[in-house]
Amino acid sequence: MSATASRDAAIALAIVVVFGSVAMLVAGVSPLDGFAALLIGALGSSQEIAETLVATTSLLFPALGVTLAFRAGLFNIGAEGQLIAGGLVAGLLGERLAGPAIVAIPLLLAAGALGGGVWGALAGLLRARFAANEVIATLMLNIIAALLAGYLIGGHETTPLPPSSWLPALIPDTRLTIALLLALALAFVLRWVLRATVIGYELRAAGDAPETARRAGIDLAKTAFWTMAASGAFAGLGGATIVTGVLHRFNLALSPGYGFIAIAVALVGELDPLLVTVAAFVFGILQNGAIGMQAAANVPRDVVTAIEGAIILVLSGRRAFKR
Amino acid sequence: MESRGPVGLVHQHFELVDRLTVWENVLLGREPRRGWRIDVAAARAQVNELAARHGLAVDPDALVETLPIGIKQRVELLRELEREPAILLLDEPTAVLAPSEIASFFATIVALARRGTAIMVVTHKLAEVIAYASTVSVMRAGKIVAQMQTAQTSVQALAQAMVGGELPPLAQRAATPNAAEPALRARRLSARSEADAIEEFDLEIAPGEIVGIAGVEGNGQTALADALAGTIPHDGTLELRGSRGTIPQDRQREGLVLDWTIAENVLLGRQRSPAFHKGPQIDRGASVAFAQEIIEQFDVRPPRPQAPMRGLSGGNQQKVVVGRALAGEPAFVLAYQPTRGIDVGAAALVQSRLIEARNAGSAILLVSFELDELFALADRIVVLFRGRIAGTFAREGFDRGRIGALMAGGS
Repeated sequence: MSATASRDAAIALAIVVVFGSVAMLVAGVSPLDGFAALLIGALGSSQEIAETLVATTSLLFPALGVTLAFRAGLFNIGAEGQLIAGGLVAGLLGERLAGPAIVAIPLLLAAGALGGGVWGALAGLLRARFAANEVIATLMLNIIAALLAGYLIGGHETTPLPPSSWLPALIPDTRLTIALLLALALAFVLRWVLRATVIGYELRAAGDAPETARRAGIDLAKTAFWTMAASGAFAGLGGATIVTGVLHRFNLALSPGYGFIAIAVALVGELDPLLVTVAAFVFGILQNGAIGMQAAANVPRDVVTAIEGAIILVLSGRRAFKR
Repeated sequence: MESRGPVGLVHQHFELVDRLTVWENVLLGREPRRGWRIDVAAARAQVNELAARHGLAVDPDALVETLPIGIKQRVELLRELEREPAILLLDEPTAVLAPSEIASFFATIVALARRGTAIMVVTHKLAEVIAYASTVSVMRAGKIVAQMQTAQTSVQALAQAMVGGELPPLAQRAATPNAAEPALRARRLSARSEADAIEEFDLEIAPGEIVGIAGVEGNGQTALADALAGTIPHDGTLELRGSRGTIPQDRQREGLVLDWTIAENVLLGRQRSPAFHKGPQIDRGASVAFAQEIIEQFDVRPPRPQAPMRGLSGGNQQKVVVGRALAGEPAFVLAYQPTRGIDVGAAALVQSRLIEARNAGSAILLVSFELDELFALADRIVVLFRGRIAGTFAREGFDRGRIGALMAGGS
């Protein structure tokens, strides 16, 4: 697995450089200028670094969820829907809830994790009960989540949350909140669970050699169900931190595809939570630098979206066809 | 490498297109054509003629996936023979055949050789080498270590050349007391696996007894083993007193996680046992110590608990599987082809350890397709034919001819 994985990172890098350069040349910009503008846009000032870390945080939650699912042999491409479900629950509850921060914030985050977890568990249930392919199930649940969100809020966004429900900022006057610390802590916890615990051991066995795992007394259906639930909870928690920390409301456009980019983040990070954290930062640079690049070098930010799309397509395709 | 003509190769694991028919497989890539269409009538006739010429009867229109394994091998052989190879390579060709099928298989091969085809057989079955080959080469660690005329050698001499010294004798069978209660009792057991099925199967195994299952593959062995291992549902009653150790049919797919280390692999099945975890955490020290124990008892190489499983030879992988199954004196051991595809040294070690486990009081069910192995290990042999018991033999009454006849469906 590790050989394929490190090749994943190399492929992703190659796509960024080659694809990015070609796109910039087509746009009539020298690739050197374009990439420079991208890096300056992402890391050029403390404000920009903070915004890059905001994107990093929003990517890291779903990426950890996708990592967990992958390690159990489940291809969860539904992190986007799970993130929306989590954000929706946090947003709907948040606009109705007024209480002290110490109660409201943990409650909203837990509600978000629960929302995402239920959304992931739905796919897990379909897989565990009916052996439904989780790729198809999660893909369709993405669409259902987006449509359900639009239906439930009956507009484009919820009313804003009371400031007592906002996540505390990590750097004053930026949108960077303690959500980053939470995500980092969860990366360490996930790494420990996967490497050192009985549950992690069983989950990896189910992913690496399902028939062997079954014969070793591991209940594959149960493992799939709970893994998908936990995977969804990570993404849902991410959605809740966007609602409580970044937008202070639920908005239908709260995610520019974090749940999909998370797949690339997880694969580039070799499915190791700590490397995934590094990968999330790299993708955070791309995500945030795109805005600066458009302004400074006149390269459309869609170039970055296209690059990310290409990475997701190539890396997921490699996974899918390896089986 | 030089060859005077095409080289034919029959793989141990068949390389057939399951969803195509026999003639489509045999003529794949060389189909007779009429214009841009395949001439099906000519193709069928061609395969029939080929089959008749070599005495390998097949139905050209049968779908390969529906064929029993012995027939699949015929199809594979026909496909190679169709190209009239100058050299024919056969990899473990008799691994899946019944004794009677083996005789007719070699009759075909010997006839081919008489007509001028050079034939090379890769095999672990030394008796077949002596019986059918004219010369033999022994390979060890990638090198040819001995070459001789089979007329001037013996099974014992070949085995010695293979391990590079004297093969240790098998462990002695100790007298085991007659137990009042069987360790395993199956009553009217019926089960269906993907490969085969058993019907109303009755079996008791006493502590300290090895019961061997003889039979051609596909007569219910997989269903029996999976039902006893608890991995498929069954009808009837199954009583098991105490713990169970299993040596599965396919060690790589059903017994190991190849990407993991030896220490991680030995834990499989014991991951929830109190000896191997502290709270939620796996006790790495305990799993490494356990791996070390198995490595020493079974002479696993490389002798490092942290060695990745994938890097071990088949024989060493199997030693880990067997070591894990036999550890802790299980009440019942299910051993499915425990020496399949491993070298004679490793096989002898595995067989000795099974006898020792029996002596220590384990009840063992041994499924093997090699009568020699069953004769060496079993206290009792049960012949399985089409999912039912065709006959039972006590050790004093083992009879190669009768067992072979029952395996082939005779009476």
